[in-house]
Amino acid sequence: MKKKKLVSLLTVCAMTASLLAGCGNGANNSGSGDSGKSGSSTAKSDKVELELFSTKTENMQTLQTLVDEFTSQHDNISIEITAPADAGTVLKTRLTKNDLPDIIACGGDATYTELQSAGMLMDMSDEVGNIQEAYMQMLYDVNKDGESVAYGVPYATNASGILYNKDMFEELGISIPQTWDELMTACETIKAAGKTPFELTFADNWTCLPPWNSMAPVIPDASFTADRKENKTTFEETHQEVLEKYAKILEYAQNDYMGTTYADGNKLFAEGQAAMMINGNWAISEFKNTNADFNVDMFAFPSVNDAERNTVTSGIDVLFAVSSESDSAQQEAAKEFIRFMTETDHAQQYITEQFAFSAVEGVAQEDPTVASVKQDIADGRVSNFPDHYYPSGFDLASILSQFALNVTNGMDLQENITQTLQTCDEQYDATNVD
Amino acid sequence: MKTKKRTSIILYMMVVPMAVLFFIFHTYPFLQGVFYSFTDWKGYGNWNFVGLRNYLHIFKDSNVVTSYLFTFKFALLATILVNVLSLALACALNARIKFKNFLKAVYFVPYMLGVLIIGYVFKFIFSNIVPMVGNALGIEALSVNILGTSSAWIGVLIVTVWQSLAFNTLIYLSGLQTVDKDLYEAADLDGAVGLKRFFKITFPLIAPFFTINMVLSVKGFLMAFDQFMAMTGGGPGTATTTISLLIYKKGFQGAQFAYQSANAVMLFIIVVAISVFQLRVLEKREEKVN
Amino acid sequence: MLKKGNRVTKTNWLVTILLIVLAIFFIAGPIYMTIVIALKDPSDMVNVLSLPKKIRWQNFVDAWNMTEYPRKFFNTLFITVINFIFTIITNSAAAYAITRNRKKNKFFKLMYYYFISAMFIPFNVLMLPLVKQANLFHIDNVIGITFLYIVFGLPMNTFLYTGFIKSVPEALDEAALIDGANPWQIFTKVIFPIMKPMHATVAILSIMWTWNDFLMPLVLLSDKKYQTLQLSQYVFQGQFNTQYNLAFASYLLVLLPVLLVYVFCQKWIIAGVTNGAVKA
Repeated sequence: MKKKKLVSLLTVCAMTASLLAGCGNGANNSGSGDSGKSGSSTAKSDKVELELFSTKTENMQTLQTLVDEFTSQHDNISIEITAPADAGTVLKTRLTKNDLPDIIACGGDATYTELQSAGMLMDMSDEVGNIQEAYMQMLYDVNKDGESVAYGVPYATNASGILYNKDMFEELGISIPQTWDELMTACETIKAAGKTPFELTFADNWTCLPPWNSMAPVIPDASFTADRKENKTTFEETHQEVLEKYAKILEYAQNDYMGTTYADGNKLFAEGQAAMMINGNWAISEFKNTNADFNVDMFAFPSVNDAERNTVTSGIDVLFAVSSESDSAQQEAAKEFIRFMTETDHAQQYITEQFAFSAVEGVAQEDPTVASVKQDIADGRVSNFPDHYYPSGFDLASILSQFALNVTNGMDLQENITQTLQTCDEQYDATNVD
Repeated sequence: MKTKKRTSIILYMMVVPMAVLFFIFHTYPFLQGVFYSFTDWKGYGNWNFVGLRNYLHIFKDSNVVTSYLFTFKFALLATILVNVLSLALACALNARIKFKNFLKAVYFVPYMLGVLIIGYVFKFIFSNIVPMVGNALGIEALSVNILGTSSAWIGVLIVTVWQSLAFNTLIYLSGLQTVDKDLYEAADLDGAVGLKRFFKITFPLIAPFFTINMVLSVKGFLMAFDQFMAMTGGGPGTATTTISLLIYKKGFQGAQFAYQSANAVMLFIIVVAISVFQLRVLEKREEKVN
Repeated sequence: MLKKGNRVTKTNWLVTILLIVLAIFFIAGPIYMTIVIALKDPSDMVNVLSLPKKIRWQNFVDAWNMTEYPRKFFNTLFITVINFIFTIITNSAAAYAITRNRKKNKFFKLMYYYFISAMFIPFNVLMLPLVKQANLFHIDNVIGITFLYIVFGLPMNTFLYTGFIKSVPEALDEAALIDGANPWQIFTKVIFPIMKPMHATVAILSIMWTWNDFLMPLVLLSDKKYQTLQLSQYVFQGQFNTQYNLAFASYLLVLLPVLLVYVFCQKWIIAGVTNGAVKA
């Protein structure tokens, strides 16, 4: 103990000495963040600088437009947006450094849970007055221990299913498949016409998730998530059919689906290279960037033959959280920004540009592109993203990518399925610790 | 010849401040890492000592074991390929060729370019150009992006070799230039030519350079990170996840902070063991051949 | 370069041609591709490798603005230059004091082994605790990381410098001592200038290291305004999307400064690296 104290004392002394110069310069250089309102009485002293960290790159432009509008109304606040690649890891690095961005725009998933359980997020309960109740519940569900406190403001929600090229479907006389068998027939028809049924983009790991996220809530029992947490069941016992169907989908994908990136795949799909993509509404704005006239629509993934049971997968795509480490001026400014974002006009602008759905009451998505899934959601044919409830560090995307790779290598399907599901169970157990 | 004199304080001043800083920013974090590896700390909040639990778990964790095996395979192949090719290239550049200095300069260019960006450039080549050529020529093997197959690591290996070749070649070249030309003439008289001359005369003389290159290459390739981040992100699946990548990707996830610290300590032990082993073996060989 | 000796030297054309062909294919090829794509219009990407139909400078303007090139450039330049200057001064001084005294003084001997043994500790091993301490140490900014580079380069540079100083006769020190110089004067006036070849080696190695490093900035420099050129290429990957012309223009903007320096200082750089290998 004494030794440790001595070491730390030494450290502090030496650091103070050696870093005095460095710190002085550093402060000049940065002039930001932590100083906030204190000390500096120079001309621009009252300016509050915020960092808005977004885990998505697709909404970058929309956010920027809204931020510009906000800052033009608030002279004393400036906001810088950060949206790096592999944002989840970057955010966790910053959590380790105790250097969280002031405003975090992330999904209602394991990333949020991790920040929340680390106690790094502000209680936002006063700011969620105009958020739809259903989405508040969804947020509470991903809180550690299911606590009913809002550590974020649900903002936009998404829908994941099958995106399809409307013109191509019409041309080939295909109507929207309602059941698994109809989907397979549709794939046969498309293939017979010399076209590619699915454009998959597995070079980006995370795109392996959407097919799973569509089927996993429908095929196994609804109680799976809770049961698995308590070790009452396993993936191996319950997810057999999910992977069988997953492998079927792979049969109808383009040749190089393992080597196609999300960006390239979106472009190819928007150029009419394939009939369908299994992804979410968030990709639509990307298609429109390539081809503004692209006629695209979306339908619920028909996981089973009982059409009534099939659902759209929907969850919190974007929520705004505020770091509890920022100073009070920054926190106030951050809340001000979130209030601005949840105003009806701005919430509307966001979902219109992003083809998303709003968590804000009274804001509706009217774009025909997502009309059919909107109806499904309205009818309650909707499930949560199962992966939002898996523990952080359980890297399902990599496991599924490995599964798909094994398929391309011609591995025996049953062996592949068993092995994959066993890996799921192993890694789930390894990360499901408190 | 000198009377015993106190070492001047100035000499101490030339070393001590650096040593203190080095301790604070290098040794202290290192010791901290070792310390964390025996705890269950998440990077925040409470923690307990867990003894060797983290270390024992490493051997049971298929993710870690595969990434170690993969990293060894990659480092071994990269080391062999880089050293064989750079030795050949150095010999070629040392031959009686035209435009010697110009060619030397050209072959050194890759060293100047950052691995990350080279990774992006080659990723584009593998994912967009090679499949295009493959399809056009009807070659099945080339028609898909190699980075999306089980052979993804070969793609990364190519980039690594491309980039590392330059430096090693230059080291070998400087070794070859120290070899006395008269030795070759003597060898010619003895009738030793070609490969035989290379192994009998040239190689023993440049053995010290071989040692430097081997040690530096192995250590560098065991740490490989940039090219994997740029090209595969560790995929497909976990096929190309190196140890560095694993520590980066998992280490900052709360539950794994202490566990990956243990992994980092393991990595350190392995690097030391390999380096020491190499130095021993290679130096012994040097002694023998000299 | 033909050496005129008493022996007849014949140019080996086979090897020459082979080397030229390989250089065109493997070295010039990728660089040519990078330049061509950076100059093209997106509509001109059908035949990727052809020369651009019309040169589109706008790619560079866009990349320049999008990645905030000037700021990233100056961050990187600052880190590289300051690190280079301080590394040369502090590391050579430390290595000098160690080399000259490690035979007669236990402390310096200890320091020698301390630094050299640290060569075996890769950055990855320190990474997690260091990131944890980033706030306390104030190292998550440009100045902090520069500081780290100076310190982290010490083991390798001590190794290089000590190898060189050993070959400098101690008689030089003693002569200066008799003239009344103190050790610091001996170092700055006599030894430091003699070490020029090794300074070149250390300079090149540390400049290339800091300019091209990616992992350390990745984990330490999360604030946008401190990011380096390499890091910003990674950060902007998602936003480059399929705009390959933009992405390649951005890559080229990062590669160009190094390539330009190389074209002009090529002889000096190659000599520097070579020296290090022979003398160390």
